[in-house]
Amino acid sequence: MSLPWRNKDRGVKKKMKENNSVFKRITSSREASMVIVLLVLCIIVTILSPSFLTVKSIMDMLKNNAVTMIMALGMLCVLLIGGIDISVGSTLAFSGMAIGMLAKRGIINSTPLLILIAVIVGTICGLLVGLVIAYGKVPPIIATLGFMYIYRAMAYLISNSEWASADALGDFKNFALNKILGINNVIWVMIICYVIFFIVMKWTKTGRKIYAVGSNREAAAISGINTERVELFVYTIMGLLAGLGGALAVSIYASAQPNMFDGEEMDVIASCVLGGVSMSGGRGSVTGVLIGSFLLAVIAKALPLVGISSIAQNTVQGVIILIVIVLNVVTQRMMDRNNLKGREM
Amino acid sequence: MAGKSGRTISNVPEKSWRKTLLSWEGILVIVFIAVCIFCMTISPYFTVANVFREMPKYLTEIFLMLPMAYILILGEIDISVGSTVCLAATMACMASNAQTPFVVTIIVSLLVGTLCGLVNGLILTNFTELPPMIVTLSTQIIYRGIAEIALGSGGSVVLSDTAGFKAIGQKLGIIPYIFFLVVILAVIFTVILAKTTFGRSVYAIGSNRLAAYYAGIPVQKYRLIIYTITGLMAGLAGLFMVSVTYGANTTTGDGFEMDAIAMAVFGGISSTGGKGSLIGGIISGFVIIFLRIGLGQINMNSQLILLIIGVLLILAVMLPNIMSRIQAKRKTASVK
Repeated sequence: MSLPWRNKDRGVKKKMKENNSVFKRITSSREASMVIVLLVLCIIVTILSPSFLTVKSIMDMLKNNAVTMIMALGMLCVLLIGGIDISVGSTLAFSGMAIGMLAKRGIINSTPLLILIAVIVGTICGLLVGLVIAYGKVPPIIATLGFMYIYRAMAYLISNSEWASADALGDFKNFALNKILGINNVIWVMIICYVIFFIVMKWTKTGRKIYAVGSNREAAAISGINTERVELFVYTIMGLLAGLGGALAVSIYASAQPNMFDGEEMDVIASCVLGGVSMSGGRGSVTGVLIGSFLLAVIAKALPLVGISSIAQNTVQGVIILIVIVLNVVTQRMMDRNNLKGREM
Repeated sequence: MAGKSGRTISNVPEKSWRKTLLSWEGILVIVFIAVCIFCMTISPYFTVANVFREMPKYLTEIFLMLPMAYILILGEIDISVGSTVCLAATMACMASNAQTPFVVTIIVSLLVGTLCGLVNGLILTNFTELPPMIVTLSTQIIYRGIAEIALGSGGSVVLSDTAGFKAIGQKLGIIPYIFFLVVILAVIFTVILAKTTFGRSVYAIGSNRLAAYYAGIPVQKYRLIIYTITGLMAGLAGLFMVSVTYGANTTTGDGFEMDAIAMAVFGGISSTGGKGSLIGGIISGFVIIFLRIGLGQINMNSQLILLIIGVLLILAVMLPNIMSRIQAKRKTASVK
């Protein structure tokens, strides 16, 4: 009964072996395959619009995507422990609006202080989310769905149906215009964040704890990790980065509006998913997130060039995410099957 | 016969949670009466006739809550329903504006909703490794995105011929048609969930999916059916949304998913699956609707109302968890 099936299998196996060297090397390292995709995409965009590969255009792209890229780091941690946070766009709006109104009323004008306040507001928001999830045992999707509306509503309420324009912001908007060593301040902030996260996630106890909780919560708890504290920490960091993102966004766009970055959480999650972060936790890296958010930025730049209007961009992005997560599952299944076959003989 | 021993085992937990549920529903009825009194004191316009007049807009959310309860009991979530409502409403408006007979408009709306639900269901049942939340999160973007594309740069569509939609928005006395439809659907959904094999299988899948699978329940088939019906109900909600607003725009149905989830969860349906009944969900649905009508009548900021519902949603999930934790601690303390 099992004979024809086995023969067929063997044929498949032979084929797999022939392809192994190239195929396996690409699938075994997600980052490598993502880099290839990224390069191909860059080449296509450069052919379509030669001005893409100039320092200025790349710097502009980085500056405009810095907020998403920074928040993707926090989302990486959240996804690593198997959670999700869809309240980040609202946290960003709330903290951005808070400093926008402070600047508008002329209460505080110093740039560092405003950034600090936005970060603190974001951290408190994240802390609340973390407390509800870690100690209230509310499923992350429901908790952050609630907080998404709560923080957005608070952004509207403190705005008092006004918005802070460029004039009202005064010196604060110059933060995103000034450069250090020829590189925009915003990009410096992003680089610093990535360096810190790269080190923390790879070589410190905290980072490894996050991975441990994500890959097997019970095992982590038994081996002495306070999983609840890790969870709380992760959501707080997410809030902190969203607060920082709020400050940067207000500075970059020189305005603060209560509806800003509505739906941003999807871009942030997309960056992570494109970068190979698993939705069920435990898998993903800072390098992957960096490549993923680059990919998303280049795609956003490429869409108008290939004639897709800005109205359709959300849809295309959603479809891309869906395809990527489905492909993830398919490749994972193929890998599992190959591994099983290796054991079978 | 083999079920006999199973029945005696399952009887023990069933009785205990039925008891707590009964008390939870009792609390909900008290809350409902309290909300009515509260609204009557803050708003002089909170009369029976006015409430029925303002109700249709909010009743569409009950359409979404009914299947959402099934999905939550499965231990899953569908956050694409708000966008499905938007897409269905948009397509219904466009079909109506294309001078088609009203029956076609109804079919288009329901079909669009069903298709959206079917797509969710097919993805989730074919790739069971994927968490429902991320799939429905991306389809949420896609469905609203398609509606945005269809609506074009203006971002809204207005009905040119409102006759058909006015007809379904009619009232019998002071009670709008939609109210009867909600009651009928609520009874159907409640009876199916509580009394049929299908309904009990949903609980079984929600409390232990693997065990349900080994017990011979076609888990994936049931999931597909439930997601498709969720889409169908979202299509129905979209149709009735148009009968209230006589048009659609890119923000139609925004936040409906949270309302539907909040209603179900506030009604005692566990967000982790396997527990809860629709009666609680329906009562809490009306609590939220009355609260919205009352607060809307005194011109409270709509954002503030969203804030209140968000807080209610989180508290409804968190408080029972904390209570049970305290109880568990007390128990272990008394054992010691």
